[in-house]
Amino acid sequence: MKEMLRLALVLTLIAAGAGLILSLVEKATREPIAEQRRLETLRALNAVLPPNENSPDQDTVKLIIGQDRRGRDLARTFYRGRRDGHINGVAFTVVAPDGYSGNIAVMVGVDPDGTVTGIEILNHAETPGLGDKIEEPWFKELFKGKSLGNADWRVKKDGGDFDQITGATISPRAVVGAVRRGLEFFKEHRDEIMAPSGRGVQS
Amino acid sequence: MSLTREFSKGIWRENAVFRLLLGLCPALAVTTSAVNGLGMGFATTFVLVCSNIVVASLRRLIPARVRIPSFIVVIASFVTVVQLGMEAYFYDLHKALGIFIPLIVVNCLILGRAEAFASRNPLLPSVIDGVGMGFGFTLALFVLGAVRELFGAGTLLGVAVFGAGYQPLILMILPPGAFIAMGLLLAAMNRAERLRR
Repeated sequence: MKEMLRLALVLTLIAAGAGLILSLVEKATREPIAEQRRLETLRALNAVLPPNENSPDQDTVKLIIGQDRRGRDLARTFYRGRRDGHINGVAFTVVAPDGYSGNIAVMVGVDPDGTVTGIEILNHAETPGLGDKIEEPWFKELFKGKSLGNADWRVKKDGGDFDQITGATISPRAVVGAVRRGLEFFKEHRDEIMAPSGRGVQS
Repeated sequence: MSLTREFSKGIWRENAVFRLLLGLCPALAVTTSAVNGLGMGFATTFVLVCSNIVVASLRRLIPARVRIPSFIVVIASFVTVVQLGMEAYFYDLHKALGIFIPLIVVNCLILGRAEAFASRNPLLPSVIDGVGMGFGFTLALFVLGAVRELFGAGTLLGVAVFGAGYQPLILMILPPGAFIAMGLLLAAMNRAERLRR
C-alpha cells in the first residue's frame, strides 16, 4: 500500500511539473502564434484582393452556409477590402472536398460584380510534382478576370475553359468546381455580404 | 567509458536510422527535402537531449515500476514545447513538418535512449549521448532528404543542381521513394562497414 502511494505520488509530481512548464510555454507562445496565423491570413487576403486601404481581416461578415453531419451550423467568413470607404473586393475561403488526396482549401477574391480578382491555395495534400502544381502562379492566373458569366467553369478535358495539369486532372477539376460554387454562393448572397454593417451572423 | 566515445557512437556505430533502424517513421515520412530532414532532426535532437537531461537527473527518484509512464510524460511535454515554439517562431517549417512533430513522442529512439542510457547514467554522459544520437539522427535524415530531393526534384536545399533539362524522378519524393532511397543507402552503408573491417 505504501509502495502504491509512492508510485502515485511520483507520477503526480512529474505530471504536475510537466503541466506547469507547458502552461508557461503556452502562455509565452500564444501571442506570437496568433500573430503568425493572422499574418498568414493577411498574406493570402492581399494576394487575392485588389489593393485596399483597410484591414480586410477586421472587416468581416459571417454567413451560415449549411449544416455539418451533426446538424451544427457551418459558417463562412467574408473579408471585405475597401478603398475610399467603398467595398472594392471580397475574399472568402472555399473547400474542395474532391481533390486527389484530402481537402483543398482555396481563398478566392472577387470584385463587387463577382469577377475573380485572384485565388490562393491555402492548404492541400495533393501529389508532389503532379497535383501540387495547382500552387503554381500560372494556374492561379487562369482564374483572374473570370466570372460565372464569361467562362465555362470546367476543365478543358470536361469541355470547359480551364487548362488542366498534365498528369493531374483531378486536382484542377476540384479547384475549379470549388471556386465556381463559391462564386454561386456569392451571387446569391451578394446583398448580405456587401451590406454596410454586415447582416447575418455578426462577428 | 570515454565521453568522446559516447558522442561518436551515435553518428556511425549505433546510428539510430542506419544501424539500429529506430525512428524510421519520421525518417521515411518527412525526408522529402533536405531542409525538412534537418528540421525534423533538430526538433528530435532537442527533445532527446532535454528528455535525457530530465530522466538522468530524476533517475534515482523515479521508481522502476512507473518509469515508462514518467518518461513518456517528460518526452510528450518537450514535444509540445517544440511544437508551440516552432509554430510561434518558425512558421514555414511548422507548416512543412505539420503532424509529424507530435509524432516525435512515439519515436522509439527517444524512449529507447531514456530507458537504455539516461536512466542508468549520470547527467553529463546522458547529455553527450543525447547530442551524439541526435546528431547522428539529424545527419541520417539530412542525407536521406538530400538524396530524395536531388533525384526527385533536381534541387539540393532548394537550389537547382541539374539544370532545366532534368526531368525529376517524382517517385523519389513520393512514399515509395523513401523506402527505395533508404534501402539503397542501407546497402551502401553495410558495404562500407564490411570494407572497414
